[in-house]
Parts: sequence; structure tokens; C-alpha cells
Amino acid sequence: MPRLILLLALLLTGAAPRVRAQTEYYARVGVVGASNLLRDAIVERITVRQSIAPMVAAGGSVPIGTKGFRANAEATFASGKFHRNENGAKVDLGTLRTATLMLGLEGSLGLGLRWRGGLGVIQYWPSEHEGIFLSGGTTRFLAGGGIDYRHSAFANWDLMTSARYDFHRFRTGTLEDRGFSQAQAVSRISLSVGLSRRVR
Amino acid sequence: MSPRGQLTAAAFAALSLACGDIASPRRADIYEWRLEVAATSGEGLDTVSFHWPAERLPVRIWVEQTDPLPADVAHAITVWRGEFLYGEYDATVVSDSSAADVIVTTGIQPDIGVSAVRLHSALAPQCAGATDINLSDDNTQLLLPIRIHIDPTSAPATPGLDECLALTITHELGHSLGIFRHSPNSSDLMYFNPSVPVPSERDRNTAEVIYHVPSTVEAVGP
Repeated sequence: MPRLILLLALLLTGAAPRVRAQTEYYARVGVVGASNLLRDAIVERITVRQSIAPMVAAGGSVPIGTKGFRANAEATFASGKFHRNENGAKVDLGTLRTATLMLGLEGSLGLGLRWRGGLGVIQYWPSEHEGIFLSGGTTRFLAGGGIDYRHSAFANWDLMTSARYDFHRFRTGTLEDRGFSQAQAVSRISLSVGLSRRVR
Repeated sequence: MSPRGQLTAAAFAALSLACGDIASPRRADIYEWRLEVAATSGEGLDTVSFHWPAERLPVRIWVEQTDPLPADVAHAITVWRGEFLYGEYDATVVSDSSAADVIVTTGIQPDIGVSAVRLHSALAPQCAGATDINLSDDNTQLLLPIRIHIDPTSAPATPGLDECLALTITHELGHSLGIFRHSPNSSDLMYFNPSVPVPSERDRNTAEVIYHVPSTVEAVGP
């Protein structure tokens, strides 16, 4: 999978010079929230969850084909706390950083709206190698989609508002070692605003 | 399959991927950890269960500066902290013994308080250990500090002494975090005469359960 992503990224960047006039770049800031990273039961039910975290995103897209589709690449980075919940009590477990890289397609919905969907990976970096991250972070496959709204602000610049949804299956090496099987489905939603630049 | 059927199947597959939960392990294999002490009123026994509450973490441990105790205590803290998945236990070494929750010294002290319970550990011939747990008269309070005694019963250069001390300290620290009894299984670190240097899966299961059942005593101390 990482090789496939690298190949797609190289193709995307390699195609950029030929379609430079139609290339778009953007950067956004926002927040991301996620569902439970883990559900466990030791006498009582325990859940581990990330707090809503600030996020930055950057990416770009180039047109492909003749039907108005664009190929895009987008990277995000978020850093926030994560905690365990048990009987309504919340215990801080430290800082958890996540980074994603997604490659996909997008198309126009009209009225400044665009849909997008793609595949990629998400990397977890805990601040401490403790607990469920005793053996370190983890990298998981990711699938997601979203909607962008662009409003022309200046020459070649658009204001951009984005909503994203993605999901992946979470598991760490420590959890595997401890006898956890399968993986926890994690859904994430992000909202962000930023600027997009069209290179003509 | 028609395109509509394929789309429906893909949607169900995506939904199942997005909704499934991880399957946690069963932690049924545990041993009795609760201390039994004489009941304060009437006949019978009181059962004492204790874990360090989150607001008291990290547990403050003072250790006598006699080699290799400081390094062994640091190792034991790392070992036990690594057994927990959800930050239930943490400890740190402090320099002020008057502010310590747990005190680790060399030598077995002969005199323990009337209400104290000593958990002896008959370890390898090179060394021995004990942990004193001091309860209030009504068995509702754990009076700190918990005292751990490490006794190198052999000369410093004796083969196996270092391993014995490291194992003994990890075992005794297991008592101080709430395992107030010995395991009946010889393959466990918390067996009264252990031979394994690190907690077994049964030790881990027991420690995890301790930190998710209510304590019957409150830690009171420095």
C-alpha cells in the first residue's frame, strides 16, 4: 500500500507541469473529532477516545480526463489529547498526534461545491510509548470523502470551506500482543476553512 | 449481480467496516489479591482491596541509595507501568522520604506495627523481601507509607544476587500497587517464591482487575 500511494503521488506531481495552468493548491485549518479508538471491558466498560483536536490540511489537485474530474492529494496533521472514560470519569492519557495522506478524485456539484473521495493512510504518533501505544504508534489504511465549498475572494484565490468524513480500523501492536482481535472502526469528521489558489 | 446489487453490497461492506468493534481479551484467569484481616467488629474477616486512585498518581517512591536498589526500582516501575493499558498505574522516585507513598530500604526490619501486615516473600537463597501494609484500626484506611524491605542475604559478589534483587523488588512493588496476596501459581511473579522476573499474563490480568474494582480502603499519608 505505501508503494502504491508513493506511485500515485509521483504520478500526480509528475503530471503537474503539463497541466500547471489548471493546478490548484490549498491550505486549511480546522478541527477534527473522532469516535472511540477502543472499547474494552475490565469489570466495567472502558472507552478510549481522542478529544476534538486542531488540524491543519494542505493539498492540491490537477484535472484528469475530459469529464471534469480532478485527481487530488491531501495531507492533514492534528494534535490533541486522548483519554479513557470509565463510569463517567475521564482520565487523561497524554497527547496523540495523527497525520493522514489521502489520494483521490473530486468533481463539481455546481454552485461552488465539489465532492471528493479517496484512499490513504493514517499514522498515529503518541507523545509517550505507554499503555495501548507501548510498542509505539501505528499506521492504518484510511478511506473517506467530503465536500468543499469555494467562494472566489481575490484573483486566483478562493475562500474554501471543507467538511470531511473518513474511517479506518484501529489497532496497535500492543493490543495485538495483549490478545485483542479484529480492530476498532474509527470514524472521523473534520471541519475546516482556508484558502485555495489557482495557478494559471 | 446487477450494478444496483453491487452498489448495495459495497455499501454494506463499507458499513460493516465502519461500525465493527475490536474484540477485547477475556481476563478470567486471575487470582485472589484481597487481603484478609480480622474484622473490626464481631467475628470473621474483613477483605481489603486497594488500588492507587488516579488523583494520587504517580505514586511517590523513595529508595535507599544502595546499589543496585535505585536502578532495580526504576526497572520495576517500568515493568509494572507497562502492564497497564489505560494509565491506571504510574510511579516516580522522589528524594524526600517524608513525602513518599512507598519507602524501599535494605534489610528486614524486625518491628512492625500492631495493625500492620507483612507480606513475606521466600525468594531465591541470595535475597529476601517483605512489604508492610499498615491499616487503620477500623480497616478503612491504608496508612502510608507502604514499606518495602529488601534483604540481600548473601555477600555482594554472590552469583545470582543481582537477578534475585531485581526480581524481589519487582515482586514487592507488585504488593505495593495493590496485589496484597500471593499467587498460588509458581509461574507467576507474585507467587510467594517466584522464579520469573516479570509479571505473567495472570499477574497482569489480576493487576488490571484490581484497578477497575472499588478500593475498600483510602490511602492516607504524607
